Amino acid sequence: MSTPNKNIDIHDEKNYDPTVWVPKAHSHGTKDIWLKFWILLGLTIVDVAFYFLMAPSMARNIIFIALGVIKAVYIVGTFMHMKHEKLSLATMIVLPMFFIIFFLVWMMYEGNFWGTF
Amino acid sequence: MSTQTISNSSTWKGGNSPFNVSYGKLMMWIFLLSDAFTFSSLLIGYGAIRYSFPSTPIEQIEELQLSFGENVQEKFAHGADAHHGEFFIPALKDAGVFTEFQWPSPDLVFNHFPFAHGLHLPLIFVSLMTLILILSSVTMVLGVEAGQRGDKDAVTKWMFWTIIGGFAFLSCQAWEWTNFITAGATPWANPYGPPTFAALFFLVTGFHGFHVFSGVVLNIVIFINNINGTYERRGHYEMVEKVGLYWHFVDLVWVFVFTFFYLI
Repeated sequence: MSTPNKNIDIHDEKNYDPTVWVPKAHSHGTKDIWLKFWILLGLTIVDVAFYFLMAPSMARNIIFIALGVIKAVYIVGTFMHMKHEKLSLATMIVLPMFFIIFFLVWMMYEGNFWGTF
Repeated sequence: MSTQTISNSSTWKGGNSPFNVSYGKLMMWIFLLSDAFTFSSLLIGYGAIRYSFPSTPIEQIEELQLSFGENVQEKFAHGADAHHGEFFIPALKDAGVFTEFQWPSPDLVFNHFPFAHGLHLPLIFVSLMTLILILSSVTMVLGVEAGQRGDKDAVTKWMFWTIIGGFAFLSCQAWEWTNFITAGATPWANPYGPPTFAALFFLVTGFHGFHVFSGVVLNIVIFINNINGTYERRGHYEMVEKVGLYWHFVDLVWVFVFTFFYLI
């Protein structure tokens, strides 16, 4: 990648050049990151607790998927900075995922009726 | 490249970034979306195939416990030299727990832990792997945060720990695969039950592991570039952020691989 022309301000929105333009970076601090780490760790422990304390069932599977989705929200939102992006970008990326989660649960249920190979 | 001055009111008429992200970062997001589709298709396929088999009946194991008079899993795991293939698998095959027609419970397959030879420790090792990957995601995001402040030395430090985390995870996966393979599993054979179980395990964890490996390579490239001062000269550390997005995505996929292969 070429180094930007020194005469162009790479952060200037009024002087937009897609090959070099980047928005100015802002730090949001490290406190939130560590908070989300402890939450993710806690949710993983909750997963393991459910595994040993609850008998296998479709309800338990849905609990596991729901916990996975909650973990995904924290990873995408905080670690991947999605909550600081524009709503239009977040919608474009997140919306298709709802269909996928629906499809996952649906096909797990459908599999019950395929019979043994 | 020509540049022009336009008013901010025309968001979608060109000459600016409607999403307020750089071209590279937008493309990284779109790549990750398409990669998410690829992994979803694998997991959707897994979910459907897994439930087309009945699960290992828990009652069967409890009956065995009654007839043997002690915890059957511990009894077999401790037996002989505690190698799964020598005693544990044949005994559970004879008892009708491991057959080609029922999906083995993952806690009977993946119950090893380093230095705890012969103990029945389901889910502990894979939870450790999850912890390692989440921790390396945290060090990555701390590196991104340091880049946003323009702190070159802190980026070097956090990228170093992220690379270490990546190698630790890959080593754990190699160990997990070795245990499964030495018990006699191949992509077309599985001593614990249906061959499809092994085929899907190798396919999906292998595909994820290859993503982790690519991520480690990219992290090393960023680490070296940063030491050479490439980003300092460029005036921003967005490259760290873009590779960080990929690394977090790999962590995100592992959350779901963990859910589907070990919990469900």
